[in-house]
Amino acid sequence: MHELGIVYEVVRIVDGFVQENQLTKVEKIVLEVGQLSQAIPRFLEECYPAAVSETAYEDTKLEIIVLPANGKCKSCNEVYNIIEHRRICPKCHRDEYALISGEEFNIKEIVAG
Amino acid sequence: MDELKVFTIKKNIQEDNAKVAEITRSQLRKQGTYLVNIMSSPGSGKTSTIVRTIKALKDEMKIGVMEADIDSDVDAKAVQEAGAKAIQLHTGGMCHLDATMTRQGIEELGVEELDLVFLENIGNLICPAGYDTGAMKNVAILSVPEGDDKPLKYPKIFGKVDVLIVNKIDAIEHFDFRMDLLEERVRRLNEDIIIFPISAKTGEGLDEWLNWIRKEVRKRG
Repeated sequence: MHELGIVYEVVRIVDGFVQENQLTKVEKIVLEVGQLSQAIPRFLEECYPAAVSETAYEDTKLEIIVLPANGKCKSCNEVYNIIEHRRICPKCHRDEYALISGEEFNIKEIVAG
Repeated sequence: MDELKVFTIKKNIQEDNAKVAEITRSQLRKQGTYLVNIMSSPGSGKTSTIVRTIKALKDEMKIGVMEADIDSDVDAKAVQEAGAKAIQLHTGGMCHLDATMTRQGIEELGVEELDLVFLENIGNLICPAGYDTGAMKNVAILSVPEGDDKPLKYPKIFGKVDVLIVNKIDAIEHFDFRMDLLEERVRRLNEDIIIFPISAKTGEGLDEWLNWIRKEVRKRG
């Protein structure tokens, strides 16, 4: 469980952006988190209040967009969720794929003024 | 109230870590210190493999070890007794080492005169695989009792490392562990991985691993 450290890092990066652009209020932070990334969205949400407590971001909302763990089948080019299908292509039943999404952990955007 | 706008950041949270790791790598390269990151689950034999390696190589090169552990100095003591410079990184509740913690460790250890440094990561097959520490090469240790199915359960680490050490092969007859099956599963994730089956206890298979280290340290920088 390392989500608290990750959330601190998010706040640190956002704070850098806020200073740089001389913003005064951040309404919302939007993250993109892949299903295969190092962080679990529910834990991120649970840690977030602790990370922003008594900071300028105490009232800033956190939104998490989960990106699917999608692979493209190397045999038939079918795109499928490798977690739901336990890595096996639902169309041709092979299990060799190239990962096309799911490992992301991005700060997508902030809504601020 | 000011009008709110959307500011696109699109910044990968790991970007800063990757930058720090790159700085560490280039500094170490310049001064001729070879850093190896060793990852495995608890109890697979990270420390005993490192101790065995130090004993075999200590007359050929200067070795240092950074031991990451939640809270104890048992491992650092064992490593010092074997003949290496060692420090214990007390990592609190962390489940992995990142590039910044590794840099702090390097500063504390003092690596200028060292040829080879092992970073013994925290015992965990999941989180350490996601963080570049600044090491030149990444090594995973899997021990026979853990089972040959681990690459199926923890694909990330097996897909990422340069070397896989399979430890405790002296106990293989007591377990339903198939080396051929393991290799097939690992190669599917990582075609070019180098695999060394060893026993840190008996010394079996150790020469191939030691020769690989010698070769890597020789061509460092």
